[in-house]
Amino acid sequence: MSVELASVHPTRLELLRLKHRKSMADGIVDILKKEVDALTLTLFELIKKRSPLRDKMYATLREAFTLFVEAEMISGSKRIEEASLVAQRIDFKISEETEKGVLGLLFPVFQLVEETQISGLRFNPLDTPANLDKSSSKIKDALQSVVKFAEIEESVKILLDIIAVKKRQMNRLQFKILPELDTNIRYIELILEETERQDSIRVRVLQRKRKERALKHG
Amino acid sequence: MCAWKYKQVMPRITVEKLKLLEPKRITNLVGMSLNHISSELEKTSYRAEICELGTKELSSISLEEALLKNFIKTFEEIMEFSPKDVRLLLSALLMKFETNCVKALLRTKEANLSVEESMNYVIPAGRLSEARCRKILENSENIGDIIDSLSDTEYGPMLEKAFEVYLKDRIFYLLEIALDRYVYHRIWRATGNFWGLDKKIARTVIGLEIDSINVKTILRCKAMGITEPQIRRYLIQESKVFGERELEEAIRGSDIQSIMKSLLESSKRAMARDHRYIFTEIKESHITSLTILETLLDRGLVDTNLRIMKRYTPYFNIGLLLAFFNLKWFEVKNLRAILRGTEAGIPPDRVKKLLIL
Repeated sequence: MSVELASVHPTRLELLRLKHRKSMADGIVDILKKEVDALTLTLFELIKKRSPLRDKMYATLREAFTLFVEAEMISGSKRIEEASLVAQRIDFKISEETEKGVLGLLFPVFQLVEETQISGLRFNPLDTPANLDKSSSKIKDALQSVVKFAEIEESVKILLDIIAVKKRQMNRLQFKILPELDTNIRYIELILEETERQDSIRVRVLQRKRKERALKHG
Repeated sequence: MCAWKYKQVMPRITVEKLKLLEPKRITNLVGMSLNHISSELEKTSYRAEICELGTKELSSISLEEALLKNFIKTFEEIMEFSPKDVRLLLSALLMKFETNCVKALLRTKEANLSVEESMNYVIPAGRLSEARCRKILENSENIGDIIDSLSDTEYGPMLEKAFEVYLKDRIFYLLEIALDRYVYHRIWRATGNFWGLDKKIARTVIGLEIDSINVKTILRCKAMGITEPQIRRYLIQESKVFGERELEEAIRGSDIQSIMKSLLESSKRAMARDHRYIFTEIKESHITSLTILETLLDRGLVDTNLRIMKRYTPYFNIGLLLAFFNLKWFEVKNLRAILRGTEAGIPPDRVKKLLIL
């Protein structure tokens, strides 16, 4: 790793400043590690929740589909398709809010809102089987699961993005900033040592010259 | 009772009845592929309609259409050879298929489908031929126009009244319910043309069918939490066993068991043994699933038809004729269930549970 040393002032003040920066960078790395640990724990918790929810969602969808096919088996595919053409529509809306989570991160909270409330039946009771109502209500349940699943997926995505950012920051500190600081500190220390050596030699030379001058005049 | 009037129609019914598939043969079709089922059906009375499909893609929908065409064709053939009073009843029964056609016209227009798309849903029956349905669709812009186009039939004036209610409530199925109620009213009225044993048999079979529909409606509405006045709007008020008072009692029931108990008591009071058999079986089986209940009620209808054939001397009354049509209809329904179940990959056990055998 090449480090730009030309811009470094080899002074004691700079050395103190760099040492202070290094201890701060070490502290930040520690904090980042703890944050990544906390985020990873939350991520695992979300992933644990995701699996049963996905299974529940698929099971409900499968059940709704089977009930729908059974309705088609009883009344005929075309008749059910026809009935669905004029069935009272239910409009859904997804309300999006945010909730503070781990490390003060904002996680989405999705809520399925039924915009049209149907008090009666959706289909002609004399013409369609009860399975059609059951299938319709199962689909509504499945939609709730789909929205909850999307909420978890979005939270997982946010967490993964944050973890990736934190890891990048940690890597930059560990493998770029800290080695650079170490090199600069070492460089300044070497320069300062060299200056000290030169100074001591100069002092000794001066002392020797002074002694020789004293002997000459003496 | 004049048995002589059945001299032409009964031999035909007997021959047609022999063509009905045995329950075992129907059950064996469960689990087979569509191609297998279609080739099996080619060996039966459905041969002509299945062969007509030709190069069309084989699907449950095309096969279902073929089955329905066969049923309507058989119905019309038998009707041709029937005596006048029987023909009146059969033409009233055929109105059930005509109303399906009217419903298809109304539904597709309400959904703003093109004429070609709409025609995919229309199965012509009786007076509503394919050409007439197409013409009605082409000349109509909304359901009001369709009702006007039907003004030369009895459906027009009746739908006009229902259309006013529809415009007020904007609930489409109220139009369909009005049609269904009207058709059953006509069928019930047609049974009044008979006398003696014929009347008794026709009222038992048709009455049981109407009662079965009413019971299904009550149970379904109760399950969905529909209010009592609303349930009353959906009921068909034509029956000799479950009249207005009996249905009111049933509506007041809190759960399936109490409704069944009330209906069983009503059938005991009316001394309707066929009703009693069905409701005793349902009450004793302690069922809570509406689907199973619906299947049991339909099975009850089939059993009643089979019992009527055994109970009364065949050939000399309307029993065999009505039983044949009901058995044929349930055969079509069973085949349709098998076809759709096979296509959707429903497990054979689940398909068998829905068969009405």
